[in-house]
Amino acid sequence: MACLLKSTISKSDCRPFWVVVLLLGISAENTQAKTVLAVPQHVSLSANYPTQQLSISWFGGKATIFEIIILRTEFNETVFYDTVSAVVNQDGGQHQWTWTSVEPLECTSLSVKICSREGNARSEWSEPQILEGRDIPSNSDAQMYPHSKVVSVGSNTTFCCIVAEGMELKKIYYGGTLMNVTRLSRRSYATTAVNQTASRPSGTNVFCLPHGRNVISGAVIFVGYPPRPRKLSCETQDLISAVCHWDEGPDTNLQGNRTTRYSINNRYCPQKSCGTPQWDGSWTLVAVNPLGQYTLTDSAELDHRVCPVEPVNLTAVVQIFNVTVDWKWKYDYSNHELVCQVELVSSNTTLRNFSGKGLHSVVLLDLHFDEEYRVKVRCGSQKHFWKWGSWSKAVTFKTKPYVPDSPDVWLWVNRDSGQIIWKPLTRWQSRGQIKGYQVTFWSPGENEPSVKFLSAGNNFLSVNLTRWASFSGDNKLNATVTVKAVGGVSRPSNVPLRLTANFQPGVRYNFSLYSCPSDFPVLMRRWIGYMQELVPSSSVNLETTQQDCDVVLTWDEIPLANRRGFLQGYNVYISNGSQLILLANLNIGTRTYTVKGLSGSTHKFTVKAYTSAGEDTGGTAAISMKECGDGLILEILASLGMVTLLLVTAAYFCYKKRGWVKKAFYPDIPEPKLPGDWSRTRGPLDLKPAPHSMVNIIEKPERDLIKDALIAIAEEEEIDAGDGIGDEPVDTDEPQSLRYYNQVVDERPIRPRFPDSSVSSSSSVDSANTDVTYTGIQTSCSSLVFPSDSQSPSEVFQPHHSLPVSSGDRGGGYQPQMHPVASASSEPLEEPQALSSGGYKPQSSWLLDSPREADEKMSPTHSLGSPTSVSSSQFLLPDGEEHKEERQASSSAAAWFTNLLTSAKP
Amino acid sequence: MAEQEEQPLTRSEAPVPGSTQTGRAVALARLLQRECSQLLQLYKERETFLLDHAPDGGRMVSLSTESEEPSAEEQVQLLHSALRQCLGLLHCLIKKEEEEWGKLEQEYETLKMHVKTRLERLLYTTRDLVGNEDGTLEVTPDHQCNEEVDGPFGLKMWTYNVLLELIHWADHAEKTLHVLHTEKGGTEEI
Repeated sequence: MACLLKSTISKSDCRPFWVVVLLLGISAENTQAKTVLAVPQHVSLSANYPTQQLSISWFGGKATIFEIIILRTEFNETVFYDTVSAVVNQDGGQHQWTWTSVEPLECTSLSVKICSREGNARSEWSEPQILEGRDIPSNSDAQMYPHSKVVSVGSNTTFCCIVAEGMELKKIYYGGTLMNVTRLSRRSYATTAVNQTASRPSGTNVFCLPHGRNVISGAVIFVGYPPRPRKLSCETQDLISAVCHWDEGPDTNLQGNRTTRYSINNRYCPQKSCGTPQWDGSWTLVAVNPLGQYTLTDSAELDHRVCPVEPVNLTAVVQIFNVTVDWKWKYDYSNHELVCQVELVSSNTTLRNFSGKGLHSVVLLDLHFDEEYRVKVRCGSQKHFWKWGSWSKAVTFKTKPYVPDSPDVWLWVNRDSGQIIWKPLTRWQSRGQIKGYQVTFWSPGENEPSVKFLSAGNNFLSVNLTRWASFSGDNKLNATVTVKAVGGVSRPSNVPLRLTANFQPGVRYNFSLYSCPSDFPVLMRRWIGYMQELVPSSSVNLETTQQDCDVVLTWDEIPLANRRGFLQGYNVYISNGSQLILLANLNIGTRTYTVKGLSGSTHKFTVKAYTSAGEDTGGTAAISMKECGDGLILEILASLGMVTLLLVTAAYFCYKKRGWVKKAFYPDIPEPKLPGDWSRTRGPLDLKPAPHSMVNIIEKPERDLIKDALIAIAEEEEIDAGDGIGDEPVDTDEPQSLRYYNQVVDERPIRPRFPDSSVSSSSSVDSANTDVTYTGIQTSCSSLVFPSDSQSPSEVFQPHHSLPVSSGDRGGGYQPQMHPVASASSEPLEEPQALSSGGYKPQSSWLLDSPREADEKMSPTHSLGSPTSVSSSQFLLPDGEEHKEERQASSSAAAWFTNLLTSAKP
Repeated sequence: MAEQEEQPLTRSEAPVPGSTQTGRAVALARLLQRECSQLLQLYKERETFLLDHAPDGGRMVSLSTESEEPSAEEQVQLLHSALRQCLGLLHCLIKKEEEEWGKLEQEYETLKMHVKTRLERLLYTTRDLVGNEDGTLEVTPDHQCNEEVDGPFGLKMWTYNVLLELIHWADHAEKTLHVLHTEKGGTEEI
């Protein structure tokens, strides 16, 4: 084409024109090629059967997007159809794409077709390319795929069974499970095992059974895990090379051809441990099986990883009770600090540690005599201990016997017979087999001791003490015991045969126990005792003493010599004629006893001490009781009689002289005249003015408002209502009432009575006779002014603003001895000293004689100095709550006294 | 099971009724046949698919005889040759299984070794029965172990056939040796 174009241009005169025409022609041709995509050419298939991957390659022009369809050839079933973007090989322009099949590629033939695509344009399909399966007619045998796949636990695997030519499939089994089957072609059938569990070492069988013939085709699948080794550690035994060990970790369930292969630093390890000829310092373990690989690393210095080999050629050289154990080393540890552990086994097992550079011998001390031992040794590095090496083979040795220990010997006496007893030696004390015992009787004066031999099984010798005593006379007889054993004869153990048979009952002895085997007896214990206890030989010295109506018994201790046993206590008896009645059993520390509530004249007591043998005869004492108890009662009765007599006398005197008493203490008070309407306008004091009540208004008659509040109390009504009124509770919310008392006009100051508590409205009622006299006598604030509002009503009577008796502007009630002009001052209420003083308060503080003076001074006190006053013979009750009861009592007493006088009026 | 296996080994060495060499050979062959059957039973318990599979009857070990009616001693010689092949097959089986599976169940592995030992002992017995003055009879395995098995499943099928072959030849040995024992005047009951 290029040549043709060149010759054409050279033969023409219109070169530019033809060039343009040709270029346009070429351009038009290219445009037509773009619209018609090239069909992929040279499609080729490459199968990777183990991975079930099909690699498809083709030449597809300039297209980058292709459509691929894969069909099962026989049934023309679509397995795959999709648009793919294929990789282009830059060198040859070849496209390549890989498809992974669910079924093994051997199962049936596959057809592959490709077309190019650009936008909506698509080329024609390429010619189908076929990957032949193993079910083609030429391969008529029965088969199953995959043959022997290795998969991880939990994965899914699809198998296919190709039945033999002319056969029909009957069943497919996965292990013992009958599977569902999908037909892929005329002879090929597929089934899928899902979520597979771990298989046995010989795998899980998958097989198909055809109809008609008993020909089995099958496969084996291995389901397991990738390797997971752990705990890699490398150590040295010869101080040169390294040996690495590791734990294989969880079972992979894969064996044989599929087992895990290990390598250390790229050296294959046929065993589960692996060595390197030199100490590399760091190691990498790679574990590989068909399902994956795993890597572990370890690094260490040689000195830190020394594990000595087991000691060899162990020998034991026995001394008497020591042994020297020697051994040899396979490698040279002479410059290495070792710590070795020796296990010593006899009746028990002990471990002893020794250390030293290149240690190869140890001495075992303090072994038991005549004892068989088994010993073995292992060692480790002392400086940087890594682990113990292996135990050596054990060797056995036996220590030699030796002189036995001296036995513990003592004498057991029962009247004139006795036994020399010695404690059997233990295995360690005998230090060898015991042959027998030798008992020697000797006395210092005798030259020829008597000797007896006993065999090994004996541990006592009976003796006739009386006979030996007659032989020895006054000499002290001794017995000596020695032990004869394989290792020799023990030192003798002595026991003196002191025949002290004169123990008396009831005699107190001091006993001392000495250890006998040594030549110098050692005191081991000392105690006091009686051979036999008796009752005390004397009784207590009893004394009696009367205290009021009680009798105290006391007695002394019994002398030690007379006790004849250990006193255990005292019994106290009282004699009831011919017999003794036990009163008390006292412990030994008590020597006094009080007998209470006695009556009568004479009593006889007995106190007996007792030991384990019984009571003594007892100490007796008698006592004649004096009168007790009635004198006090008589004295009380006499006193009461005297008081009664005095009261009667006083009452009689008062009755006879009642006129004088009334005049002196309770003169009549003139009744106030009530010019206005004295009816009650406000609530709290609901009293009617008695007809004989009289109010003398001396000055300031213009105080009508105050008068309006004055309420007089009828005397008769008071009397009628007097009983029990004083006990009524105080209602402080109620308007306080003014009380008018019988007044004795004398020189004494007027004392306002606090109408608190029980004496509020009710107490005004129980006034027997109320006379109010305005005599120009002024009261001081301390006697008339009520406490301010700031004070507790419970402590001080506190008139409310609605009270008939109040100060200044407090209102509309009757206000005796008040300044006519309301000062509107609360200062009088602020007189704490007067208000807080306790006890009754005589009305002795009248300071001003006239209201004028009070006006001039303009003081609250003066304002109270009103010519209107109340004179009363009653005492002022004390302030404060602490005197509440007292006030009540005083009030009650006053009321009673008033009533008495009133009733005594002629 | 181990005790049951240990006991026959002792019996094989003990004098059998009749106390003849042929009688001991017959007992040994009978013992081999019993152990081979036990081994097959164990194998089928593991590979259960074989329960549904019947052998096709083909022989892996074949005999070639020149005479049409061989004597009892000639039959023993033929038997000896067949047993050598069986021992070769067993050696091959042990090798292949070890490569493919590693160590399998302890009971199966132990019984397999017992069968091997018993077969070797029977070979020595048959050699001694027919006389070996010239040293022509060997007791070594006679098998190349060059079979191509088709994967693990093929190995299982092949193993099954080998075990069947062992049972067949153990049974054949018992019969052959019993004939020889009878000819040599041994008692019927052994």
